[in-house]
Amino acid sequence: MLGYICKYAPVEVFASMGVEMRRIEPDVTNFNQADMKMHPNICSFAKGVLEEAMGEDYEGILLTTCCDSIRRLYDVLKEEYPEKFIYMLDTPRITKEAGVRLYEGRIREMLREYEAFSGKTFDEERFGACLRELLEREAAAGQGAAAGQTGVEGIGEVQGKRPVRIGVLGARANPGIGEILEKEGACLSFDLTCTGLARKILYEAEDVMGAYTRGLLSQFPCMRMEQASNRDELIRRYADSVDGIIYHTVQFCDNYAYEYAWLRNWLRRPVLLLETDYTRQSYGQMLTRIQAFLESLQAKKRRPERKTEGERSMYVLGIDSGSTSTNAVIMDQDRKIKAFSVVRTGAKSGVSAQKALEEVLGKAGLSREDIAWIVSTGYGRVSIDFADENVTEISCHGKGAHYFNPGIRTILDIGGQDSKAIKLNEQGEVKDFVMNDKCAAGTGRFLEMIARTLEVSLDELGEIALASQEDIEITSMCSVFAESEVISLIANNKEKADIANGVCRAVAGKAFGLLRRVNMEPGFMMTGGVAKNPGVVRAVEEKIGAKLYICQEPEIVGAAGAALYALEQMEG
Amino acid sequence: MWLADKYIDYVKEQAVEKPEESWGKLLLGFQANKLRTKLLPKKGLAKGYQRLEAMMMAFVADSLAKPGSYVWGNIFAPCEIIQCLGLHTLSIECLACYLSGYHLEDYLIDYAQNSGMAPTLCSYHKTFVGAIDSGVIPVPRYAVTTSLSCDGNLNTFRYLEKKKGVPFTFLDVPYRDDKASVEYLAGQLRELAGRLEEQFGRRFDEEKLRESLRIENETRRELVRFFELQSERRYPGELISHLYMMMGMHLLVGTQQFLDLIRFMVEDIQTYPAFTGKKILWSHLLPFYQESLQSYFNTNENYQIIASDIIIDSMEMLDEEQPFHALAEKIIRNLYNGSYSHKAQMVGRLAAKLRPDAVIQFCHWGCKQSSGGSILLKEQMQKMDIPMLILDGDGIDKRNSHDGQIKTRLEAFLEMLEGEAEDEDRNAGEETAEAERAEDGNAEEETAEAERAEDENAGEGLAGDREEIRESGEDAGNGKGEKKRC
Repeated sequence: MLGYICKYAPVEVFASMGVEMRRIEPDVTNFNQADMKMHPNICSFAKGVLEEAMGEDYEGILLTTCCDSIRRLYDVLKEEYPEKFIYMLDTPRITKEAGVRLYEGRIREMLREYEAFSGKTFDEERFGACLRELLEREAAAGQGAAAGQTGVEGIGEVQGKRPVRIGVLGARANPGIGEILEKEGACLSFDLTCTGLARKILYEAEDVMGAYTRGLLSQFPCMRMEQASNRDELIRRYADSVDGIIYHTVQFCDNYAYEYAWLRNWLRRPVLLLETDYTRQSYGQMLTRIQAFLESLQAKKRRPERKTEGERSMYVLGIDSGSTSTNAVIMDQDRKIKAFSVVRTGAKSGVSAQKALEEVLGKAGLSREDIAWIVSTGYGRVSIDFADENVTEISCHGKGAHYFNPGIRTILDIGGQDSKAIKLNEQGEVKDFVMNDKCAAGTGRFLEMIARTLEVSLDELGEIALASQEDIEITSMCSVFAESEVISLIANNKEKADIANGVCRAVAGKAFGLLRRVNMEPGFMMTGGVAKNPGVVRAVEEKIGAKLYICQEPEIVGAAGAALYALEQMEG
Repeated sequence: MWLADKYIDYVKEQAVEKPEESWGKLLLGFQANKLRTKLLPKKGLAKGYQRLEAMMMAFVADSLAKPGSYVWGNIFAPCEIIQCLGLHTLSIECLACYLSGYHLEDYLIDYAQNSGMAPTLCSYHKTFVGAIDSGVIPVPRYAVTTSLSCDGNLNTFRYLEKKKGVPFTFLDVPYRDDKASVEYLAGQLRELAGRLEEQFGRRFDEEKLRESLRIENETRRELVRFFELQSERRYPGELISHLYMMMGMHLLVGTQQFLDLIRFMVEDIQTYPAFTGKKILWSHLLPFYQESLQSYFNTNENYQIIASDIIIDSMEMLDEEQPFHALAEKIIRNLYNGSYSHKAQMVGRLAAKLRPDAVIQFCHWGCKQSSGGSILLKEQMQKMDIPMLILDGDGIDKRNSHDGQIKTRLEAFLEMLEGEAEDEDRNAGEETAEAERAEDGNAEEETAEAERAEDENAGEGLAGDREEIRESGEDAGNGKGEKKRC
């Protein structure tokens, strides 16, 4: 069995020799080997392939000169497995005749080397016959559909309504994206990444290899190819047929971000930028983003049956299970908050949720049976078993913010372990959002770390920042680096107040980046625990040049939003 | 890149406030700096490095002052062909560095990231994209880039074409070094000459190119001579001097002016005293702003960077009879092309010639090319008994390079080098092998532990495998060491 990764790999030539070909789709839990043998800052896909290759029994691996990371992957594999057929196929970026000729020669060279390695022989006639057979089979299966169309069978209409149609663009999409879309009842209309494309086979009897090579190189171009510019036109056409686009990028692969930066300016559809790293752990992050995106596309979709009867008051509950606090809100049918509670999230989010539930019920003087519908949100939303449904914190924050102040257009939410910027329209529907949940810098955790280093409490940190006299820049972008930077500042006898303010400004700088990425508009609100920190609030206000609206309990905005969702469900 | 601090602050402020209107002020600063480096060169620098700096400041300031006199390139664009049409090649990497002279890199990088560029992209490219998107820098008529070494090239230039309408030639550099590759690239180079003729309405003269290649061959010979002398003589330079040298070898090579400078440096260095400190061969980019590295390598008596592979990344003698083929071969055999073992081999050859005491490889943020193979290079150096330190940081964005962390790694490494020298002295003193091993062991343990605490990368292997390295040490000394691997 030979492993391969790239759509430009001439898989069919090997198949005609009876070789089993498998496209490597890494599904790993860590990069222990890769970080040691390569470098942590190499593209996650390349690292994943290395982990996978070391765990599976391949006779060899076929790589193409697709990018810097894959080139280095080849070096490492070659070194690790001198006895295997680790082959680097030099793939041109130019698809004109000169490129085709060069590539054909390269493929023939590779076949010679594989013949010597395996003892098998390549027979061009047999290869031609295989191609013909393949084409006939495709024609018979009616699979002559346009390139780029992937199977969408199995995704039926949800409750008689048209499912949300999603297209996937960008770097090779991993199977998780499709799985999540399917689970959420959305329809994957197209996948134009290199894993979603049907192969393009050209056959000419008198020039079998030449035509085949031309076919390979004329597939929908990826970003490494010179002629990637006609991607724009194709993407424009495809995009018009869907409700939203997921633009996928891989961590430490930078090529596709260029295209994202370019087409977000003109694409007429909502776009979700989704970065993954090919580990199983990234599934959760993917899930939150995709769910929130789908929610924003189908704002008024779900309508469950009513649960209460009679004339008495109806109550709903929203519960937001965050990393730092778990917050619950009970609301009545007139959209009035009856009671709320904020409890510290402990080691088990389910336990804290139970505690928050009991507390809020106690405050409201109600029992569990009085609550008609419960919506959970936040990181721990899926672990709350008493909830009737769960909605992402993005949608809930949007709804909550609109409830507290309908003038809000841009929300900055800084919580314990993530931060996000959310853009709303006049109806309070989410129009765009970006999240940072991969790096501690710019989150509440970061402030906690620094407060500990400065030997002040988290509450004091913001207060003392206000007394700052001197501007200190904390330049490190990583919270760990920043902490050591703060230690050096302490060693240099800098004032606590100034350091604290520097830290607040660093958080504000990060936040500003998020806000800019959603094209912020006035009507600003800050939510989450960090909104109680006057130092950060001041620093953010300075950055954006506008006042922030902060409600009395900034931590319960998400839970209030969840309660509003519950109410909408009840109202039908 | 010294400019009066107040002016720097003022220009930065203006650029951030009104990016589109700041170009005149930026340019004025470059021109002032050109005069400054010519009339008041930095004290303490060797004469050759003073002249090099002045030449590079003048090159950039003069080109930028005359729109239409230059094309944008990446550092591997064939400046020889472009020169033949009377045009300068301004590489976007160098322009990013010059903009950082105004401390604008953080603003520009944030600008690019906020438009959607990946934070993990090379900071040179991000700085440049930020400069384009924000409108800080005006665009030229044409650009030339290659696929060599860096994924960012094609994508950055394509982005510029889309956003600002700058047409460009893309040279697809094949990975393999064989005849088919040379033909393929030579054809593209010939087409480039034709494209430039059309674009600028000038005639391309092949004889001029031949002359340029003759000069280039001579320059490379002289440069190697200079490096050899620099491993013997103390010739005070700065981190940035090596970047200027790299610029010269990529953007001005093939010109008489640059050959004259290198010839002057070969003469001049011989008037300087012998160098007795530690000789460092640098690999990849140099973070010229890094304080700790500056304190150890800027005009330091004890440590001298004797060469960097990025300056002499091509070692081909060019056949002027077939100029396009010669240039194609030069580009294909560049140490950044092909497999990493090719690079390791070329760095090994350079090391065998210059006999450095140590190699320092700098892994620049976002550069998968250099980072991904750093461990392999280290293994190659170990086989040659040359200690190697891997430093992670950023060539331009200070926020990605923490000085304290670099300082600890560097100092531990230099301490280790000094320790080795002492060991060697002890060896000469005919101490018994056992006693020495015991002592070595202790020292190693301490170093290893100290390093482990700070960094897993730097410590690894350096201390642990010394026994084995010693055994192969003799080979390396005879210059055979690298052959074992090739």
